[in-house]
Amino acid sequence: MTRRTQQAADARNGLPGALIPPAVGAARAVPRRRRTFDDEARFGLLLTGPSLLVLAVVSTLPLVFLVAVTFFRIELTRPWATGFAGLTNYTAMLTDPRFWHSLRVTAVYTVTSVALQVVLGLAFALALAGEMRGRNVLRTAVLLPMVLAPVVVGLVWRTLLLTPRYGLLDYLATVLGIGSHSWLGDPTLALGAVIVLHTWQWTPFAFLVFTASLAALPVEPFEAALLDRATAWQRFRYITLPLMRPAIVTVVIIRTIVALRAFDAIYAATGGGPGTATEILNLYAYRVAFNALNLGYGATLTVTLLLVTAAMTVLFGRLRAAVESPA
Amino acid sequence: MSPLRLPRAQSARSLGLRRLARHLPRYAALLAAIGIWAVPVLWVLATSLKARTDIFTIPPRLWFAPTLEHYRTALGTVDVSRSIVNSALVGTLTMALTLLVSVPAGYAYARVRFPYREPLFFYTLFTQMAPPVGFLIPFFLALSRLRLLDTHVGILLIYLTVTLPFAVWLVTTYFLDVPRELEEAALVDGCSRLTAFLRVVLPQAYGGIAVTAILSFINAWNEFVYASVLTGARVRMAPVAIFGFLTTEETLWGPFAATAVMIMGPVIVVAFVMQRHIVRGLTLGALR
Repeated sequence: MTRRTQQAADARNGLPGALIPPAVGAARAVPRRRRTFDDEARFGLLLTGPSLLVLAVVSTLPLVFLVAVTFFRIELTRPWATGFAGLTNYTAMLTDPRFWHSLRVTAVYTVTSVALQVVLGLAFALALAGEMRGRNVLRTAVLLPMVLAPVVVGLVWRTLLLTPRYGLLDYLATVLGIGSHSWLGDPTLALGAVIVLHTWQWTPFAFLVFTASLAALPVEPFEAALLDRATAWQRFRYITLPLMRPAIVTVVIIRTIVALRAFDAIYAATGGGPGTATEILNLYAYRVAFNALNLGYGATLTVTLLLVTAAMTVLFGRLRAAVESPA
Repeated sequence: MSPLRLPRAQSARSLGLRRLARHLPRYAALLAAIGIWAVPVLWVLATSLKARTDIFTIPPRLWFAPTLEHYRTALGTVDVSRSIVNSALVGTLTMALTLLVSVPAGYAYARVRFPYREPLFFYTLFTQMAPPVGFLIPFFLALSRLRLLDTHVGILLIYLTVTLPFAVWLVTTYFLDVPRELEEAALVDGCSRLTAFLRVVLPQAYGGIAVTAILSFINAWNEFVYASVLTGARVRMAPVAIFGFLTTEETLWGPFAATAVMIMGPVIVVAFVMQRHIVRGLTLGALR
């Protein structure tokens, strides 16, 4: 992974400290013939104008509005009670046990599923590195989950795969002696089940990235290691892993940010239930805003999630800097 | 040959068996991977083609007489057939608008020098971080004020937030890959800036633009959160309509699976045909 890919990755995730890929940053203008800077500038703004206008209207304005809503009391069930609330929504949140619970669920869901994706993705990438028959079939297979609608994936798992007695996976569990369970209906199992679901859908991402970066590793260190009679484990531990570190860090960052925003698949599979067993922060906010119709408090919860995501992003930016410049 | 597996000197005789022994674990891993990721998807297809009696047999039946009855049932449900048309229509329009706006912008970020270029590029990327659930609240209030709730125009506008930032970014990376010399040569030959872009640069980036188009369509086609709240009975979207088969009173697995196949099918076909290119689009940000 070069610096440039790194920066592209940063840019993709809006990481601080990221730069525009040098090619963007250092773009020399194409030689200009009798052209003033004004023309060039006007041309650029003309081309980017429409996109910036659209984003300002449908993205930035709503964000400002969302933050503003958090300072108001807006309950559609009690329209007469609408009014300025100051920081009441925020103070209410800090003493809301369900908020803290959803934060814990979000943390468990994110950390576990990202760790599983990285470990499984790396294991499969290592096992399947290099040329082999069936590579195209493999590529198609791992591509499938990534392009499917997460909401449909969640519904499919809830019904065809995990239904007790009739679901395919439940049947396999019975055959393997694990026994039939109400995977999504049992509070102790449900969170694990949605984590497995998320991991199933997104491990292919890690697999594809690791496969590409393995293929780009330099050959020399491995040749030297073979001459030195290093065991396979030593080669992995002291050569492959250190060389893969930047790729691993990148995958962890991207997948963490995406996992924090997860919604569709869990909503479809459990709706946050049973009870609040799988209620991640995003789902709690949704329930507050669109089931209880308490928009002010719902907005406060989502702004909090946005802040958590931003904080993680900053943290990752520092972590990456540490990885990139070995002390 | 990957650097992990360097050839060792071997006598020709023992080669066959040795090779088999050494490759066995790899092929086991290959089968495991294909099984883990393809079987659940194929299972949905199988279920959609099974007669009702075949769906609920234990052990699950692998061999059955296929039937199209569930597709007839699903498409006979007005809500489902209309929602698929809606999703296709809105998806296509979203894709067209996204391209119209993102292609010029991507070219400008890649090639044109204009003030505040970098901050503006970053701003575009930042708009992607917004959690949809949070945006639902302002969108809901704004669309209801504008009388655009449950309309094609309303959801189309909202879907641009889903597709646009990613598209601008993707297109920019594709334009950066176009050799600068081509453009310079065109300018020397007397093309104007615009003609050089249209005649020389754009054709070079067609492949990348096609990938951007497809991924934009897929993003809109698969979107659920906005569709579930901002559209209702009039302009139902396919990912919302499919819930209709899974009510608390009964779960109609057959029609549900058929609808799932209709939602997943087009995307799978396209992904299959363009897999090499799509991999790049999907893993963008992790590799260039």
